[in-house]
Amino acid sequence: MVESAKARGRIPNARRQFLKAGLTAAGGTLAVASGVKAAQPDPKITEIQDWNRYLGDGVDASPYGSPSQFEADIVRRNVPWLTADATSSVNFTPLYALDGTITPSGLCFERHHGGVAVINPADHRLMIHGLVDRPLVFTMDDLKRFPRENRVYFLECAANSGMEWRGAQLNGCQFTHGMIHNVEYTGIPLRFILEEAGVKADAKWLLAEGADAAAMTRSIPIEKVMDDCLIAFKMNGEALRPEQGYPVRLVVPGWEGNMWIKWLRRLELGDKPWAQREETSKYTDLLANGVARRHTWVMDVKSVVTNPSPQAPLTHSKGRTVATGLAWSGHGRIAKVDVSIDGGRNWSEARLEGGTSKGVYRFYHDFDWDGAELFLQSRAIDEAGNVQPTKDQLRAERGENSIYHNNGIQTWHVRQDGVTENVEVS
Amino acid sequence: MSKFLRPLIAVGFLGGLVLVAQPASAQDAANGEKIFKRCSACHAVGPGAKNKSGPTLNGVVERKAAAVEGFRYSKAMTEAGKNGLAWTEEHLSEFLAAPRKKVKGTKMAFAGLKKDKEIADIIAYLRQFADDGSAAKPEQANADGAIQSNPGMAEAEPEANASEAEMAEETKKQQQTGAGEDVAAAPKAEIADGAGESVDASAGDEEAAGQDVAMAPPPPSGGPMNIGRPALEDEIAAWDIDVRPDGKGLPEGSGTVAEGEGIYDERCASCHGAFGEGEGRWPVLAGGQGTLTDERPEKTIGSYWPYLSTVYDYVHRAMPFGDARSLTDDETYAVTAYLLYLNDLVKDDFELNSKNFSGIDLPNHDGFKPDDRQSEPQNAENAQAELCMKDCKEGPAEITMRARVLDVTPDNADSDEQDELGEGAID
Repeated sequence: MVESAKARGRIPNARRQFLKAGLTAAGGTLAVASGVKAAQPDPKITEIQDWNRYLGDGVDASPYGSPSQFEADIVRRNVPWLTADATSSVNFTPLYALDGTITPSGLCFERHHGGVAVINPADHRLMIHGLVDRPLVFTMDDLKRFPRENRVYFLECAANSGMEWRGAQLNGCQFTHGMIHNVEYTGIPLRFILEEAGVKADAKWLLAEGADAAAMTRSIPIEKVMDDCLIAFKMNGEALRPEQGYPVRLVVPGWEGNMWIKWLRRLELGDKPWAQREETSKYTDLLANGVARRHTWVMDVKSVVTNPSPQAPLTHSKGRTVATGLAWSGHGRIAKVDVSIDGGRNWSEARLEGGTSKGVYRFYHDFDWDGAELFLQSRAIDEAGNVQPTKDQLRAERGENSIYHNNGIQTWHVRQDGVTENVEVS
Repeated sequence: MSKFLRPLIAVGFLGGLVLVAQPASAQDAANGEKIFKRCSACHAVGPGAKNKSGPTLNGVVERKAAAVEGFRYSKAMTEAGKNGLAWTEEHLSEFLAAPRKKVKGTKMAFAGLKKDKEIADIIAYLRQFADDGSAAKPEQANADGAIQSNPGMAEAEPEANASEAEMAEETKKQQQTGAGEDVAAAPKAEIADGAGESVDASAGDEEAAGQDVAMAPPPPSGGPMNIGRPALEDEIAAWDIDVRPDGKGLPEGSGTVAEGEGIYDERCASCHGAFGEGEGRWPVLAGGQGTLTDERPEKTIGSYWPYLSTVYDYVHRAMPFGDARSLTDDETYAVTAYLLYLNDLVKDDFELNSKNFSGIDLPNHDGFKPDDRQSEPQNAENAQAELCMKDCKEGPAEITMRARVLDVTPDNADSDEQDELGEGAID
């Protein structure tokens, strides 16, 4: 496999590194770092290193800091054959390289329908109109006078794992599960904006619209709007990144990412939904019988092991190891995550570390690897009692053309040499 | 588009009369820039421009064909380049008029520009960009002796959705900078005579609106926190263009299948195909009826979309891709009518208008149901019993499918080997 991959001659660094890593583990005898056979003193210890002798950069060498040069491979990546053009496309969060629960702002996956709008906040306006007592216009300065909150939420694209309906296809959790990110938002409860305008009694729906070249629109029921939606202008403490809707975006906790309108400029109250393109032709779930579900807003309970995974193989021989991953549910908190290393025959409850309602949870399964092949799976259960289903259960019920809302259990096959592959098992 | 061009061309003609034989100039280039928006879904130009589904066009004028490194040209284009085809004004003009006639087998799906003036303007625009996307040297850029050395790109309007008022403003600016004092000093009424009423009227509106915003001190919102200001009717009208299935929001107007065909061929077909079949991975718009239960359903306006209002709304707000909101209400009616025709839902003499719109049901109108995921049987199955923790399945796990077989993961896959699975899932 390695040879054929090399023959293509187009293997970028990340790929090459994990192939190499796999080989090293397979060789076993090359395991210098393991320390077991370290008969010779390690020159990295016995010799004085440059960084230990000479001065490094001073302050301000990088006024807005960047990750270490040794992390240059950890980037969002896309799947070019998925879409016609990068201006209406998606890239994926490198989940395999992250830990904890918060996604760094620059690694949050991107999904645009008309490219990234570039808007000077001084030129941005937010309008609210329709079934309200007082149609209003706000500037960004106006918005910052409303009371605001800090909340951590996941944003998952409804099409996350959508390429896996017909079977294992993409080799890496970045691609199978990377249309998700989890950040802390600073924003205004949307109900404050509605109350400022005065909502009329017959207003049952809100249309939210973006200022981008797609003028993205979605209809949202008023109950959700008044419950927990935010108008956010900060993520992880800093201004929203342009690709995440700078200067202001909608936050619709637990619901599909497409509804989280970026570059938010307009809120219209009405008595019926608008049946916009992204809630009829797209983001509806076609079932095997030819009927499609619409208004499938909530993101169901889901989890995935992020390490080991195809882009992050095991690089050591048998012994103590850690399997870790993420779990989340649009219904609220995660109650429990189970991990199986034998393809769902036996399960162990994983340790949860950090997490919020409608945000991601980090789980760890610490175990002694006996060096045999593994079929790693994770299964999440949320506080409402929803259990993450198998992919086969979903297919039996929905067929293979739903595209959206695939929350089935993922299997990684870890070989004895540590190389890991996306598979499906009996 | 044609509606926008008309005043511009008329004014250009007037300027020509006053100045006598104005050669290719910044004005042509500026006009070319507007026309280029039709190309921008597939081509980028300027500093930092990268290949899209078409190659970057920096330095394209006078360059050899198929010369952009890293772009995968069609065999036909590569051959043409090898055989010495270069994009001189003459060859480029022929190509832009009928791409597939000039280079048979080109990947470029664009049908071609019909007007010589548009072709000349586009070339004047592209001529401004050197190989690296910077401004070409003036003598090179305006080789044929333009009056001003300031290329139009320096003043480029960043907005994609040039309103008619902006067009009028742009026209005035060009006259002032490009055409000299004579025209700039001419009373507005004279320009209006030459350019048609719309220019004068919309320019006037713009000024009036500008004054409102600048002069009126914002009254308080009147809400509980007294934040924000009242939205003006004109402001709401400018943004509130959404159309609902019950017809709410639909503007007065009409358009025929025949009118729609002309607009579609020029503005839509390069991505969506001459018959709505979709070029490459661009969305398929027509056909597919009866395929929703197939292994590979084809979801189109005719086979899947429940409401015609969605077509009108979406075309009006977001199409043509890269030149959003450039179609007038009537043009949108016409394109919508033509899309109905491509889906065999109306005859070729059909006119769609605000009266008959709500009477048209799309075939899959009843093909949707509310979200009932919670009632799916696996939820009950999984929740009922204690979740199994030990010996839940018999026998060891056997691999039934592996991703490596398909080998479509990026970094690992040549784009020739892409699999059909999931293709078009995102658009």
